[in-house]
Amino acid sequence: MLVSTQAISPPNYHHHNHTNMPIKSPFETCVAKPGQGNVVLSLLPPSNPTLTTLTYKYPLKLLTRAPGYVPQSSALSCPTSRPVHLYLLTYGGGLLPGDHIAVTITLDPQTRLVVTTPQGSTKIYKTEPNASVKGHRGPSPAHALSDKSRQNIDVRIGREAALCYLPDPSVPFKDSRYEQTQIFTIDGTVQKDTHRSSLCVLDWVTQGRASRGENWDFHLWRGKNEIWSADETGAKKLLLLRDSLILDSELDEGCLENADETFHRTNLIRERTRPHGVVGTLILYGPIFEHLASFIMDRYTSQPRIGARNWSSSAPAVEETTSHYDAKVTFTASRVRAGFVLLKFGAPDFETAKNWLSDMFREEGTVMNEFGEEALFCL
Amino acid sequence: MTNKNNVQVLENEIHDLESRLRDAKSRLALTSTPKEGLKPSPIPQNPTLLDPTHALLLLSDTALPLGSFAYSSGLESYIAHNKPLPRGVTPTASFHRFLTLSIASMASTSIPYVLAAYRTPEALDSLDNDLDASTPCVVAQRASIAQGRALIGVWERAFRATYAADPLSAGSAAAAGSVERFSDAIKSGLDGVDQLGPKGHFAPLWGVVCVAMGVDVRQTAYVFMLNHAKAVLSAAVRASVMGPYQAQRVLASKELQEMIAERIDREWETAVEDAGQVVPPLDLWVGRHELLYSRIFNS
Repeated sequence: MLVSTQAISPPNYHHHNHTNMPIKSPFETCVAKPGQGNVVLSLLPPSNPTLTTLTYKYPLKLLTRAPGYVPQSSALSCPTSRPVHLYLLTYGGGLLPGDHIAVTITLDPQTRLVVTTPQGSTKIYKTEPNASVKGHRGPSPAHALSDKSRQNIDVRIGREAALCYLPDPSVPFKDSRYEQTQIFTIDGTVQKDTHRSSLCVLDWVTQGRASRGENWDFHLWRGKNEIWSADETGAKKLLLLRDSLILDSELDEGCLENADETFHRTNLIRERTRPHGVVGTLILYGPIFEHLASFIMDRYTSQPRIGARNWSSSAPAVEETTSHYDAKVTFTASRVRAGFVLLKFGAPDFETAKNWLSDMFREEGTVMNEFGEEALFCL
Repeated sequence: MTNKNNVQVLENEIHDLESRLRDAKSRLALTSTPKEGLKPSPIPQNPTLLDPTHALLLLSDTALPLGSFAYSSGLESYIAHNKPLPRGVTPTASFHRFLTLSIASMASTSIPYVLAAYRTPEALDSLDNDLDASTPCVVAQRASIAQGRALIGVWERAFRATYAADPLSAGSAAAAGSVERFSDAIKSGLDGVDQLGPKGHFAPLWGVVCVAMGVDVRQTAYVFMLNHAKAVLSAAVRASVMGPYQAQRVLASKELQEMIAERIDREWETAVEDAGQVVPPLDLWVGRHELLYSRIFNS
């Protein structure tokens, strides 16, 4: 690894007891490309959640753990299975230019998977120009755009299965370029509401390393979350939800050679995200997260009216009655179609957003009850 | 890009040649009949029955009953969220920021759908579904659907009589058929418990109706964006941000024209799967319009 931009303390993994080692399939192919990973979580009789597949290749690393947490109570009527944890890691705590992470995860019916990224943040690095393009022809290194790094996550969630995916935020470094696509496919043949798949997905991105003065100084960050419904064979697909964010400085190689143009353009992402230092989206679906979804909708609709006046006194505005963090975080929640609740937020900085999310999840309780405390590891 | 430039060059050349021809003809007319003085130039012959400019003028008319002026596209909420303005920032400067953001956002989220619907009118159903799936809040969804359904209404009650009865081309006829089928699907109300039936979002319907009326693809996208700018400026006038002359000056400005053209160029080849929000706070402002204590607009 050529990463020297930031000291990264290695996370503590030694305490994880790997009780649920995957059963190696004799038919497993070992031809995975760099950065690819494949996970299948099955429920073996009588009620034993087991990773029947777990493969990964550098620079991706997947660790798992079955913490033995038994859900105390559940929104589901079926016997609740114990959640399994998957830690999504990359060497160096992030992605280098040209890295391509591609993880495929399958949740068989009635299983539960918690996915976290125990590295504090997903860093999107930019290779130093003089190190990356040595010997290349064409534009001088200072004018070259960084290679894109990419991450694709593809999750299939069976009936009555649940995914809780609350990762660290993406932290794109100055001049970096990154694209991620996360596709979640749920079982569309389910008729009864209580038999549906459930998912909770957080996706957030920060202005960069604020401690180094970075303020939306990257070149490109594109994030797309799609939820599809499909039958067992994967046919009859229908797009249920697409959440797509494009933070693009709209630079090309030509612009970089023109210093004036660069100066003019570099503030574009900052201008389009102002006044926020972090923006994010939380997607909720399915019976397990219904209570959380309602809680968030209530929280949103009970915010004080904007521009309301307190006529009973000379005070210019209504007294702040909301919680400490609600005053600092701008958010909107909407019950969009097919039962999805979409929460969008903007906050001045990472800590404020993290505390706000953490407070909300802990106060409401669903994630802790259904998946255990560790599901909130990143918060 | 190069192809587009070539087309532009050729169009300019044709335009230039035509004006020179007209000029030469008028000079010839003057020299051949010096005694009679100035005579009106001959009536230009239009080979097509329906002039596409006519449809364009109808679709860009502010009297087109789409109800677009009930929506401020987040302007009202933006003003409320940015009150009081920081020292040194004038309401006009703050508005210009909003207009720039709003145009960029409208182009990145909607133009791919307008163009895709124009290019493949038969895909109207799936484009409508995908745009509905991509609309992040009910406020924006209501605004888009209300205008889309109003456009179907105008098509059926007004434009269809002329444009479907005597289609300009096979493509126009197919587009008209696509609107009919889609309208029937909405009316039959096949909206299940999941509310996943046809909705009637504005952007794809605009593309298909423009095909049916023989409007050029570039103008289809341009008028879509210009109408959006008009609606935002109209909202600005009614929200007392600026006066009507100032609003017209912004609409007429070269900056606005260039901005719209640049945003369309940028999205010209964007697939609908790659459409997305470029101004994340706009989703917050539009969504939080519901939280305003007093409102004069529906979005």
